[in-house]
Amino acid sequence: MANMSPRWKFLAILLLAVVLPWLPLGSHTNYLLRVVTTAILYMILALGLNIVPGFTGLLDLGYVGFYGIGAYTAGLLTVHYNLSFWVILPLAALNGAIWGILLGAPTLRLTGDYFAIVTFGFSELVVLVIRNELWLTRGPMGLPGISPPVIFGHALKLDWEFYYLVILILMLVLLVVTRLEDSRLGRAWFAIREDEIAAQCCGVNLIRYKIIAFAMSASIGAMGGAFFARWFKFIHPDMFKFWESILVLCLIVFGGMGSIAGTMLGALILIPLSEILRAALPQAMFSARYLIYGLILVLMMRWRPAGLIPFDKEQESKAARVRERLATLGGKE
Amino acid sequence: MDAILRVRRLSKVFGGLSALSQVSLEVETGKIVGIIGPNGAGKTTLFNCLTGLYYPTEGQVLFQERSVVPELSSRKARLVQRLSWLFVIVSLAWAPLFWSFFLPRTFFKVELTLLAIFILSIRLVVVRGLREFQIWAWSTIFVFILGDLYLAIWWLTHLASLGPVPGLGAPLAYLALPWSFLAVVSCTYLGWQLLLREVRQLYGFRLGPDAINRLGVARTFQNIRLFLTLSVLDNVKIGAHGKMVQKIWNALCRTRSQREEEAKIEVEALEHLRFVGLEQRAFDLSGALAYGEQRRLELARALASNPRLLLLDEPAAGMNPQESARLMQLIRKIRDQGITVLIIEHDMKVMMNLADHIYALDHGVLIAHGTPDEIRADPKVIEAYLGRGSADAKS
Repeated sequence: MANMSPRWKFLAILLLAVVLPWLPLGSHTNYLLRVVTTAILYMILALGLNIVPGFTGLLDLGYVGFYGIGAYTAGLLTVHYNLSFWVILPLAALNGAIWGILLGAPTLRLTGDYFAIVTFGFSELVVLVIRNELWLTRGPMGLPGISPPVIFGHALKLDWEFYYLVILILMLVLLVVTRLEDSRLGRAWFAIREDEIAAQCCGVNLIRYKIIAFAMSASIGAMGGAFFARWFKFIHPDMFKFWESILVLCLIVFGGMGSIAGTMLGALILIPLSEILRAALPQAMFSARYLIYGLILVLMMRWRPAGLIPFDKEQESKAARVRERLATLGGKE
Repeated sequence: MDAILRVRRLSKVFGGLSALSQVSLEVETGKIVGIIGPNGAGKTTLFNCLTGLYYPTEGQVLFQERSVVPELSSRKARLVQRLSWLFVIVSLAWAPLFWSFFLPRTFFKVELTLLAIFILSIRLVVVRGLREFQIWAWSTIFVFILGDLYLAIWWLTHLASLGPVPGLGAPLAYLALPWSFLAVVSCTYLGWQLLLREVRQLYGFRLGPDAINRLGVARTFQNIRLFLTLSVLDNVKIGAHGKMVQKIWNALCRTRSQREEEAKIEVEALEHLRFVGLEQRAFDLSGALAYGEQRRLELARALASNPRLLLLDEPAAGMNPQESARLMQLIRKIRDQGITVLIIEHDMKVMMNLADHIYALDHGVLIAHGTPDEIRADPKVIEAYLGRGSADAKS
């Protein structure tokens, strides 16, 4: 596995993911699928958040705000207008991006902690608006009765159907993120993270690239929210509390800040862990899972401070791939 | 003389410390020009002003006869200040005039008065708090638009609660609705034009470091600033950022033009790495390079943007004699490619061998300029380096 080329590794994992619903796992298959669907949803969220603190180096504590905006956009559009999921997904992404730009444009001049505080305030603001604007969101009563997505005239209801849908969205997000990372835009983000002054002197317009990062991150978060609303069929302001932001941030830190494979691995390990703990811990102690998350993070900081797959290791292997590509190119000529 | 860079009476004051005062210099195209001076002479401050990282207090910088840092003088600054004050006063006076004309009875309503005080205080804070003119002008516009739009919207949404207007009657009051919007829009537009046209002409707008880089000025740093967790090749590719044109959609769709540009940049980056002698390390992380190699990588990154003018901030610092001899050869080769080089250096031997023309700075003041031989003999330079009396002792 370790010495396979990334393309084959990717195909092997994809194959495993596709046949997963049909593996003979007995009566627990549906439960397992639901857990994996949640994990993949968090992978999408983590990939989106990763753009801001991972690629661009700005601490964003308000990511759940965009998740909530996406979920409520999808929920309200479904309940009132019954739009197709494939129309709602880009609309939610667009709405997320608009709010990302509106929040980012004035605040991205702030640095470090001040920026983090502003994003935190934004996510709280989103929850407050959702909770109090009863005419729009029904507030603390939640928004029930969101119909599931319809594909080719067939309304999704089985677990494996949603599982395939979320994998499809993950593929889309993964495509976007990997392509952006390996382009002029991605390099500009990395440059900003490493050294803002040097990046400016290399011709990178700081504000523009930070706003693009923020908008991309927000739109991916909103897409995750849209899927969540159509999957869960019920949304409530309490689902978009500050804790969720921290959880997604934990996934990134655990997996490796800035590394795409790392963030996905982090979500794949930590989210099912919560389910395992649900079974292992007594009912009254279920909230103690955050304690265990904290413990894991502390241990990580001690032994692997850069996460499971550190960013620089990923860059190293990327450079090695470029070297191979150029070597084969040179051989042909 | 064909000068690629002209600096006119550049001053930079930090608090009370004058880091640069009235420095004027010209850099001839295709030459190596050196800047020397003891520690704290303001050499790096000069570079930071030239690349847009600092905003000079006074003076002007022309790159290829184009104003990179607009001309600043206290006379013009005062004029702009007066203009902005006038603008603020007009924008402040507008609201009461507007009210008293259309809604005479509501002029003393508590909410409106509070609102007016609130807007007034914001405006005063903005006026007082911001020292840089450009920000100042923009925020005046911003506050003006925001405040007056808010007032207009408040007025429009509270028409019913204000009751009928004496002398106008209900229908006429509603006729005033579109008019009020017109007033807001036209006032804003006029103010905008005033500021944009007049202020830009008088004061000019500052170019950021990224825009200056895209014009063709690249630099290296005294304390090396590399992107340490990225590969050496990627570092150089980022250096080419300013001359690439592909947008986000092209990257998402991997269009043919995007792939071609990436391939072209990659070939050029390898070319630059070969030029500085780092092609063997192209696929290592730049954090893994030795100190001298990091310096050369910074040079390659600066060259990647195809600059017309290259600013080198102490490129030979911390290098042994062999390395600095190699660096000198490299810099000569860069000059032979037609790139003008402006260089700060402490190492006198390097400087005397390399530079065609030298400017000497001390405590932010230009004390001498000329060919290396003239500088070597200049008593003021010797005094700045060795102290008063040394020049006499030598002669």
